[in-house]
Amino acid sequence: MNSVAAEAAMTRWTGDAMQSRLRKRYRSERLFKLLGFAAVGISLAFLAFLLGTMLWKGAGGLSLGFLTMSDSTDPATAGVWGALKGSFLTIVVTMGLAFPVGVLSAIYLEEFATRNRWTDMIEVSINNLAAVPSIIFGLLGLAVFLNFMHLPRSAPLVGGLTLALMTMPVIVIAGRNAIQAVPPSIREAALGVGASKMQVVFHHVLPLALPGILTGTIIGMARALGETAPLLMIGMRAFIAVPPSGITDPSSVLPVQIFLWSDEVDRAFVEKTSAAIIVLLVFMLVMNGLAIYLRNRFEQRW
Amino acid sequence: MVLLIASAVGGIAFTRARQLRTGGRLHSLPVYHGIHAALWVVVPALLVLAAWSPMQTRLVDQAVLASPEGKALPDFEMQRDSILDEARQIAHHEIEAGFNPESTALAPRVAEAEGRYASIGGIAAILIALGAAGVLLLRKRDREFRARTSVERWMNGLLFGASLIAIFTTLGIVLSLLFESLRFFQLVPITDFLFGLSWSPQMAIRADQAGSSGAFGSIPLFWGTILIGAIIAMIVAIPLGLMSAIYLTQYASQRARAIIKPVLEILAGVPTVVYGYFAALTVAPWIREVGISLGIESASSESALAAGLVMGIMIIPFVSSMADDSIAAVPQAMSDGSLALGATKSETIRKVLLPAALPGVVGGVLLAVSRAIGETMIVVMAAGLAANLTANPFESVTTVTVQIVQLLTGDQEFDSAKTLAAFALGLVLFLITLVLNLIALTVVRRYREAYE
Repeated sequence: MNSVAAEAAMTRWTGDAMQSRLRKRYRSERLFKLLGFAAVGISLAFLAFLLGTMLWKGAGGLSLGFLTMSDSTDPATAGVWGALKGSFLTIVVTMGLAFPVGVLSAIYLEEFATRNRWTDMIEVSINNLAAVPSIIFGLLGLAVFLNFMHLPRSAPLVGGLTLALMTMPVIVIAGRNAIQAVPPSIREAALGVGASKMQVVFHHVLPLALPGILTGTIIGMARALGETAPLLMIGMRAFIAVPPSGITDPSSVLPVQIFLWSDEVDRAFVEKTSAAIIVLLVFMLVMNGLAIYLRNRFEQRW
Repeated sequence: MVLLIASAVGGIAFTRARQLRTGGRLHSLPVYHGIHAALWVVVPALLVLAAWSPMQTRLVDQAVLASPEGKALPDFEMQRDSILDEARQIAHHEIEAGFNPESTALAPRVAEAEGRYASIGGIAAILIALGAAGVLLLRKRDREFRARTSVERWMNGLLFGASLIAIFTTLGIVLSLLFESLRFFQLVPITDFLFGLSWSPQMAIRADQAGSSGAFGSIPLFWGTILIGAIIAMIVAIPLGLMSAIYLTQYASQRARAIIKPVLEILAGVPTVVYGYFAALTVAPWIREVGISLGIESASSESALAAGLVMGIMIIPFVSSMADDSIAAVPQAMSDGSLALGATKSETIRKVLLPAALPGVVGGVLLAVSRAIGETMIVVMAAGLAANLTANPFESVTTVTVQIVQLLTGDQEFDSAKTLAAFALGLVLFLITLVLNLIALTVVRRYREAYE
């Protein structure tokens, strides 16, 4: 009898015990929400701090001369033009190899492959390659392209090949998702009017999936553009004062240039390094912005 | 030349098919007949050319060595090869003069032999192309000829070939790492490498030199990697990433989420060399000051803490988006049920959503760890080179990736134990990340299936 009365007192909404428990629960609710907000805030603050530091340190180093001159031991005449050109050539090689191969294998895996041990192996290795540390690709490039095939050291050709192997899985995964998103009704309609499987894919599915594939490709290219470690492995860290004129000339790339300058003892290079980082970040932002624009502009929901 | 023949034959086939069409329906469009013919002409000829080029180098070498200038070369194989190499470069006008005087005399012979064998290969390819063209043009085609099917079989082969490149890449990684590692383990016993406690990769050139015995014990490197990548970085990234995901999915308004999420993704897009520079320039000196003011005398300006903190920040968006996915995969009914029983939102999240999403979150964390331990530039720029076996985060430790970069960016012989050690480290790193990835992918997939 007594315990029932006690329980009734405990569960009465207006009772003190219930009210204090409720207050406690609401307090922890607010605390939890605050913690979540703080987590987001800290991350954003760090990003702002990082970008702010770079802008503050590097804005003074940005000038026309900085963009048009090449590397030099004298900070006053050092610029990023050679590294920019090297980066551009490398990315062109990467794009030229990784995009067709990536798209073709995405098409094969999504549209043609029958499930068997081979396709399972291909799938597992693609998923795994996407998560292999980039430095391992550098080791592969060093062992295969330089020591086995004797391609020229420090050249955009080798850098591009290495980065292409690294970027290809990213493009395959993005491509497969984009192809999957094309509804089956499109394929069935095309098959219904007599198109062959290959015609269905190349005339109908691929054009519809292309914006998605391009978005993934641009993001992969942005990653390749900022990649440093594998390029160090294949020798793209030499001091090169002459901009490359072809894909077999020795050259530097922008991230490696940043790395090399960050090692310089001369204080004036701090400004140069930060300025080069600003240039690199601008390129990354433009590429990512382009990807987001493409996604928003052409995204279709079926 | 081959391409020219191919396009000519393709064009003829195309027009012939067009003419055929005037007589009635064709099975395939004329353009397929054209492509079909061109492919049959060009592919065998190109295959012959591709097979010829490695043979050509060998034949050229033989011819040059058989010439009077070649017979005068020294017998020592490596020296002879380097002279031949220089002669080849002079013949291609890549360099003006070689290091070895013999190579200049040899260059015209190389050019001559190369010209001769290249023309043999070229003529063979052209003959094959012409032969294929002849066969194709002489054979009579009826309307029912399935050119499209044939062309598509070629395309199918191309698609399959493209997807095989992924397997070849994996194989290439495994084989090249394994091959160089085996050579390393011939120099250094594998047990010393895996269980040794000291790392100082200095191989002396002479046996009597000071510090002649290099030590290749990798335990300190792996400890440093785990301390920075799996402990410090995760202490930063897991709470921040998880809480951001919870806030963005459960509390934030639709509009705030649409803005904050892409901005957070920028953190993942910033190149690692930028993080490294930031860590070395700004974070590390600050950590050192904090360490000294706390009374830690050994606080280093290349502390494990600085590298780990910045790496943790880099990983946040990664953890956050994995957590986001797995929270979104929990059925709505579960949280609805909890809310209906009177639980507050935070109680629902902590007691219902998170336990249900836990496998997915754990899988995401494993992937994040694998990414953190393979990360290179941050630790190269912000962590130290000394292989210390210490748990003090203010001291300097080194990681596997730092040592790989260090070992391979000097100017030493490729076959020395130092460079081979880098491949052995790479192999172990590859295996560790492979296992982590496979476990994580299985966990995530099982978990997704549980709710579908």
